Amino acid sequence: MTHAVPGRPRLGAVARRVGGHLVRGLAMIWVVATISFVIIREIPGNPVMGQYESLIQKGMSPEQAERATAVLYGFMPTGNLWQQYVGYMGSLLHLDLGRSLSTPGVEVTTLIGHAARWTVLPVLAGTLLSFLLGVTMGVYAAIKRSGKLGDALALSGSLLHGVPVYVIGLLMTAIFATLWPIMPSGGPVDVEFVPGFNAGYIGSLIHHAVLPVVTYTLASYGGWILAMKSNVVAVLGDDFILAAELRGLRRGFVFRYLARNAILPLFTILALSIGMLFGGSIFIEEIFNYPGLGLLLVNSISSRDYALMGGTFLVITVGIVVANIIADLLYTVIDPRVRSGGAA
Amino acid sequence: MTVHTAAPEVRIRDLTVVYKTPAGELPAVRGVDLTLAPGTITGVVGESGSGKSTLALSLLNAVQPPGRIAAGSVEIDGLGDVLTLWGEDLRRARGRQVGYVFQAAQNSLNPLKTIGKQLLDLGRSHDVADLRALVRDAKDLLARMGMDGARVLDSYQHELSGGMRQRVGIMLALVLNAKVVVLDEPTTALDMITQATILRIIREVHEERALTTLVITHDVGAVAEVADSLAVMYGGRVVEHGPVTEVLGNARHPYTQGLIRAIPRLSGDLSLARALPGRPPTLGTLPGQGCVFRERCERRMEVCETDDPLPVNRDGRMVACHAADRHLTLVERKEFV
Repeated sequence: MTHAVPGRPRLGAVARRVGGHLVRGLAMIWVVATISFVIIREIPGNPVMGQYESLIQKGMSPEQAERATAVLYGFMPTGNLWQQYVGYMGSLLHLDLGRSLSTPGVEVTTLIGHAARWTVLPVLAGTLLSFLLGVTMGVYAAIKRSGKLGDALALSGSLLHGVPVYVIGLLMTAIFATLWPIMPSGGPVDVEFVPGFNAGYIGSLIHHAVLPVVTYTLASYGGWILAMKSNVVAVLGDDFILAAELRGLRRGFVFRYLARNAILPLFTILALSIGMLFGGSIFIEEIFNYPGLGLLLVNSISSRDYALMGGTFLVITVGIVVANIIADLLYTVIDPRVRSGGAA
Repeated sequence: MTVHTAAPEVRIRDLTVVYKTPAGELPAVRGVDLTLAPGTITGVVGESGSGKSTLALSLLNAVQPPGRIAAGSVEIDGLGDVLTLWGEDLRRARGRQVGYVFQAAQNSLNPLKTIGKQLLDLGRSHDVADLRALVRDAKDLLARMGMDGARVLDSYQHELSGGMRQRVGIMLALVLNAKVVVLDEPTTALDMITQATILRIIREVHEERALTTLVITHDVGAVAEVADSLAVMYGGRVVEHGPVTEVLGNARHPYTQGLIRAIPRLSGDLSLARALPGRPPTLGTLPGQGCVFRERCERRMEVCETDDPLPVNRDGRMVACHAADRHLTLVERKEFV
């Protein structure tokens, strides 16, 4: 493919690529859904049958109990495994994840929808902030690596990378909510404001988000700065950087050559962490009392709410699969070597 | 196409480049004097570690840390002493006045940008007013080297073969009309046919544009094909320098003689090719006094242990060897024929 005509992506090729990703993504989601069905069905103590039997013990007729259980889990507790599986997949296609046990009668999708809002805000903001900060500081740490500034930056990365997120979170609340109370200690928003697009509500949202976002940023900043630093150092050793300097390119151009080549591998990690975001951040949500997806998952596990658990897992899976697809497609945009089919 | 001004002369004087090592600063290039006559191609040959590439980088004041130019000057006509240039002045001289074809030029391109965009970056860096003309010049140069200019400019590095990338590297070194061109191992890692093509191109473009060219190589055969004069380096010294036919046809320094003996011939007995005994010195094993080559020299004398042979100029040739000196003196006294 070395001598091929310079490859600009053709529309057909792009469509094929996207299509291939979608098919693979759907297959992946189906596999996870199947596994989560089997686990819920086959877990010791069989929660579905347990529910069914306890309803009968409470005096329901078997038919009533069966219907009540089916509403909860999205499939009939009786009948053979295959019929149950078909029922489960059928309701999945209608985006029906069943109903919650711990919050009786509420649909799992509703619960997840509510929780997702409180996860996306702090975790997405934290991810993007830490990425920008870590990458910028990583470049400086690499360029100034033989000086004091570089040492200090790299050290800050190593230290923060080593401190668990809950320690940072607790320190944050201790300092900024207790010792020097300028920040709210928890909760996503003050209750006195009317939800909606008004200054008071949005201001309160931001005020409450500061500590969780800062905590998340500090916790993930270390990884980015260390990864970026080592990438930049590697690219600095590449021949084309010296060649660009020997051709008398302006520092700005050389810097862009350097940064773009070094940041490339990090985009995959960034896309994946944005996908992971749907798993929430359990520690941060717990410490700052944010009713996000992470907290939802923990609560569903502790209350043995299997429908909610299965639904949350599924959402995390879909998030990661979609993020993977986006990462792959993004890569073809930013790396020409991948675009033309990966030759040479 | 281009204004042909006179080719500049390059005068390297007493150049010493040291590298910082745990054992202190050790010289990779020591006291080198070398003049590149205007409009000529000078070849520099030597084994790995003889200081060739360090010498080449010195011409752009671009010795990389832990290396450092400790002494000397590199005067280029119209530019002055390159070693005193600094910051923006140095950056502008690179590319504009001195073109550099990188060692392993196959890797000298940014993998994420098309050749055309990198060409424009080069033009903007050197304040080229007419970028269209720059692109036209680049296409002409590429066409001269047997390539489809428009297609190459629209390609990414990975879409070109090694020989094509090498030619792109040469184009980028010449497109700003640099009058001094340094080629560091321009044909290494290329197949024989491509090597021959690249060498022919270097020769042609050199004559067409009236350049002063320095070709660094470890391939004596390659240098014999393109160079007008030849400098032989050993252990950071230039040990012999003169017109290429004379240096190769009638080598005076025992190291040059050994190098030539080591070349296998296409016809004849392969065993006639004899490798030089021993190993080239590294920075750490360079002798502190006396001749750098004496450990491997078959004509080693007592004086070689203690005295560094001084370069001696005689009928347009320079040799730094006690034995060669003696030999010449004997010839002159007709005691030795």
